[in-house]
Amino acid sequence: MTTRRLQQVHPPEPEANPASPESPTQAADVETDIDITSSLPDRWEGRVRLKDGSTVPFLVRRAGQQIHVWLAGQSYVFSLPAPTTRARRNGQQTSDDIVCPVPGVVTAVRVAPEDTVQAGQDLVIIESMKTEQIVKSPRDGVVERVSVQEGDRVDRGMRLVVLVPEVGEV
Amino acid sequence: MGRVPHVSMFSKVLVANRGEIAVRVLQTLQAMGIATAAVYSDPDENAPHVALADEAFALGGSTAEETYLDRDKIIQLAVACGAQAVHPGYGFLAEDPTFSRECAEAGLVFIGPSPETIALLGDKIRSKETAVQAGVPVVPSSPVWRPKESQPDDISSGIGFPLLVKAAAGGGGRGMRIVERAQDLEPALESASREAASAFGDGHVFLERYVPAARHVEFQVLADSSGNTIHLLERECSVQRRYQKVIEETPSPALNDDLRNRMAESAVAMAKSVGYTNAGTVEFLVDAQTGEYFFLEMNARIQVEHPITEETLKLDMVEWQTRIAAGENLSLTQEDIRPSGHALECRIYAEDPYSNFAPDTGRLLAWRPPSGMGIRLDSGVAGGQEITAYYDSMLAKLVAWGPDRQSAIGRMLAALVSFPVLGVTTNMPFLLRALAHPDFGSGDYDTGFILKHPELTAPPEQGHLAGAAAEVAALFCRTNKNGTPGQGLTAPRETQGPWCGLPKSMFP
Repeated sequence: MTTRRLQQVHPPEPEANPASPESPTQAADVETDIDITSSLPDRWEGRVRLKDGSTVPFLVRRAGQQIHVWLAGQSYVFSLPAPTTRARRNGQQTSDDIVCPVPGVVTAVRVAPEDTVQAGQDLVIIESMKTEQIVKSPRDGVVERVSVQEGDRVDRGMRLVVLVPEVGEV
Repeated sequence: MGRVPHVSMFSKVLVANRGEIAVRVLQTLQAMGIATAAVYSDPDENAPHVALADEAFALGGSTAEETYLDRDKIIQLAVACGAQAVHPGYGFLAEDPTFSRECAEAGLVFIGPSPETIALLGDKIRSKETAVQAGVPVVPSSPVWRPKESQPDDISSGIGFPLLVKAAAGGGGRGMRIVERAQDLEPALESASREAASAFGDGHVFLERYVPAARHVEFQVLADSSGNTIHLLERECSVQRRYQKVIEETPSPALNDDLRNRMAESAVAMAKSVGYTNAGTVEFLVDAQTGEYFFLEMNARIQVEHPITEETLKLDMVEWQTRIAAGENLSLTQEDIRPSGHALECRIYAEDPYSNFAPDTGRLLAWRPPSGMGIRLDSGVAGGQEITAYYDSMLAKLVAWGPDRQSAIGRMLAALVSFPVLGVTTNMPFLLRALAHPDFGSGDYDTGFILKHPELTAPPEQGHLAGAAAEVAALFCRTNKNGTPGQGLTAPRETQGPWCGLPKSMFP
């Protein structure tokens, strides 16, 4: 029935675990009683009846393409699907782009284009909320491009460094 | 608690801080009938401390350096608005002896100890020497130096591995690293030195013996300018991530009466030996295996976690800070310090517990603090507020008091689970798990608690609650599919009051 499937952006899903059959995609199979007590186009609140018969409170807020849900003490963020959103939000590396894991300011750039780097080598150092975060290379490789310089303000998911694509050597 | 009649209380005080501590200090000053002035950076224009103060002055700028760390701007504003004293809160200028001295030179009372005492305690080496002279046990450590000034091997030889690299200036775990092997020492030193230079403007570091299974227990002291010095018992601060405290409690489950008395005596001896005045905290490392304790440092400021002491002793620490700074003597004696019940504090940080506690920013789409018997929230944020990367990621402190430890934990769990926060990722799921963990419940935990239990920070299983949340979100989307995307970003502030947005006085 739903044509646009929501993706859970936060919390991240645990490592693949075949012993845990439940996932949000199956949630629609469960008959759930949702009682909305307050409703505006970008915000809801109410209570939901769980399978065990208990009811728990919830709050919903929309921000752009994201739906934020607080339910029984836990917060969730769902997103209308866009292929890279999830990986970026979690700070995971996609392909050969090294992306910024936290919002902050670049305090040091440790590599230059054409540098050879090893897995675990420091690439960029970011200061966020007064804490230093070191972005390390996820693999051995060669730097193709550096997209930031010292003093730049950066956001989560922003590209910092591009590695030369891996050629299929195994 | 009778006031000494010949001491005149301040008529106006400027609070040189932001966030929850600025709000906390303003509340006490106002309750004492003192006029208040706040200062704020550009991103904080609509912050709660600005709304609360009688007057608020723009510092102009966004970074800490150009706002809350700018001594000249703050002193000029304080003098111009007719304040007689400045309360520095914690962090920023609270332990900057130059600021304390310049306040005095400008005719302002700095609510804290003397510049000489701040300088002495800010120097971890000199403060340790003082502790030794006062008969207080200390952890073996190296002299202070900067990377490249000498070889790390020469420095580490007398200490052995594992060891800690620490910043000579400042605190709060910034610039601190644990090093297990000799070959990791040099990169750790450089990284720690850089972080220290950025956080405190001083890149000097030193090495210290690492005590495994250590607990972090601190004693609050109060001292007046006549030399009356008392302690206000301990706070257990062993639940830490990145060497920063997350959950604190008092009394500590680790101390028996004998150890508590010996540590308290050491704390008072330390305060007296440096001629301490005002509120201060003496931090100790307790070796959980041997029952030994070591002096770590003395913090010349009010601590983040002071509310748990206030809740078990039913006194107002900011009021005492202010009265002592105005020249009053303590009317309390050590015998008056009789704790009641148990108090816990949870620090609510804007950070992702499933991603190594990485800080998060964004707009608070929902912020609905809980209430109830024994529940207190010291908060510096409001719904609708933008949380930026300019400052610390702590949003608020939730404090629970109960007649015993079990009831305090129960009240804290109930408060956390009924506290909706949306828009910014917080550590609240971690706090819930930590409080419910058997090791926390038994009181048998140390500073390795979080690392020892990876289940505290593992992403949650997709259970029936996540399924229900997904269903609610899907129904919301189907119902509101004609709603304009992005509407939420420009939605009115959740707690907008009739006075919101009125201009603040821009001139003193």
